[in-house]
Amino acid sequence: MTVWWVLVRKEWRELLRSYKLLWVPAVFLLLGGSQPVAMYFMPEIIARSGGMPAGALIEIPTPQAFEVLAQTLQQFGLLGLLVLALAGMGAVSGERIAGTAIMTLVKPVSPTAYVTSKWAALLSLTSIAVAAGYGAALYYTSALFGSVSWKDALLALIIFMIWTCVLITMTLALSAFLGSGAAAAFVSLAAAVVVVLLTGAFPDELHWSPGALPGLASRVLAGEGWPAYGWAPLIAAISLLFVSLAAAVKFGRFT
Amino acid sequence: MMRGGDVLNVTALTKRYDAKTVVESVNFTLSKMRCTALLGPNGAGKTTTIQMLAGLLRPSSGQIRLLGDASDSDPRRSIGYLPQHPAFYAWMSGREYMIYAGRLCGLTRKAASGAAEELLARVGLADAARERIGGYSGGMKQRLGIAQALIHRPKLLILDEPMSALDPIGRREVMALLRDIKRETTVLYSTHVLHDAEALCDDILILRQGELVESGPLSEVRDRNRQPVIVVETENDEASRGWMERWLQGTKADVLNADRVERGMRLVVRDLEAAREALLLDIARAGVRITRLDIGQMSLEDIFMKAVAE
Repeated sequence: MTVWWVLVRKEWRELLRSYKLLWVPAVFLLLGGSQPVAMYFMPEIIARSGGMPAGALIEIPTPQAFEVLAQTLQQFGLLGLLVLALAGMGAVSGERIAGTAIMTLVKPVSPTAYVTSKWAALLSLTSIAVAAGYGAALYYTSALFGSVSWKDALLALIIFMIWTCVLITMTLALSAFLGSGAAAAFVSLAAAVVVVLLTGAFPDELHWSPGALPGLASRVLAGEGWPAYGWAPLIAAISLLFVSLAAAVKFGRFT
Repeated sequence: MMRGGDVLNVTALTKRYDAKTVVESVNFTLSKMRCTALLGPNGAGKTTTIQMLAGLLRPSSGQIRLLGDASDSDPRRSIGYLPQHPAFYAWMSGREYMIYAGRLCGLTRKAASGAAEELLARVGLADAARERIGGYSGGMKQRLGIAQALIHRPKLLILDEPMSALDPIGRREVMALLRDIKRETTVLYSTHVLHDAEALCDDILILRQGELVESGPLSEVRDRNRQPVIVVETENDEASRGWMERWLQGTKADVLNADRVERGMRLVVRDLEAAREALLLDIARAGVRITRLDIGQMSLEDIFMKAVAE
């Protein structure tokens, strides 16, 4: 356990000194803060951008607060995931290529401790970044569009965070299997996008798919509550997370 | 069998990848406070053997036993290992890396910090201890690598080609350091620089295509292979070349083996005294223009070449 903490602290220090702990949350803050502001000024932006025939009447209904937050989560689900995958893609493969992994694993350190310490650090980075961005979105949304039930907002955040944690764990596992970090980032992002698209295309057949989680988060934000069919994708997501982690420990290449 | 003075005992150690056998049935014992060089041409299985000893590779069969260890305990606790190309986190300072390595080996923060201070001073990195490793030279990194391998006071220090990537200055520093370390720790290192091995080690192991072909104390191996060698070099004139040709082709009574070398020839003879006399007389009679005449015993290089030749 002591060894595990030493490894985790090293990972945190690395996140700090490589400025990942700065720029990853910064991207989320930017995404989360700009979405409500952009949506608020959308009618004016369109009106001033020109190109409209004189006298044309534009009716843009003011979106409701929960819709703005749901839109923000969609931004996180694409650009946010890209940034997270980029931050986590070299976790194992980078150390394998540099040769630092072998230096650690020749000490009395188990592959389990080695992989899970990186996992813990990436999860904390993910949580901090998503929570920061979501906090900014929540602040601007309630200032510009009116308040959202904090219970619903919190539940939606938790659901969405689980989805991002699955993605970052998959990126970590792929970086343990694949030769290059870029491949790991690409495969995990592509998998996330495909899963979400497939789940959207076949909502009945794939109602249990982890890709349903972002949709569930939006649903919760709309005040429709947590549905009974929500448990299947949740359990599937958490299983996928732990299967990826176990596979990384068992079959990962470290030397 | 393990004896009192043994640190490591290897029996029938074998590593196979699919159909290819990289290390085959290797047996040897490392004794306490001895420095052993593992020699062999590239691809002979040196790194594979060393990685199995360090616990990085699982042997296909065979046994590795460490002194005083239960057979199921982690060998990494009693071994310090330096890979061929040590890599560090560039963002850490030398001191931070040492403490990190010590803590991974189970030392307390205080013990790790004390050991780090002491070892960094010993390898001459006390002044650079607080600088980022990213700014270290190759020689400094190698010395840091040796220091981090010693942080938990291992019974056995294993180094994979510790000097091959260094410039002459770095090589001299590391040699001096190893000479100092071998007084208190058993050392095993692989190398293909025979000169370094000869200057440093007590025992040698020579691998050829995964098999151990020569082993034992350097002096004993020398005795076993004691064969007088004469090296003659001449100027490149007609008469001298012709004379040398006759020695190379003719079957002079005492010559066991004659090889052409650059600018001359190398003779392995049965009786040094008789051969010396015959050669000197012949040189005087033929008026050969000798530039170099070297009469002596087989060097480690000769033994190595003989051992690895098919």
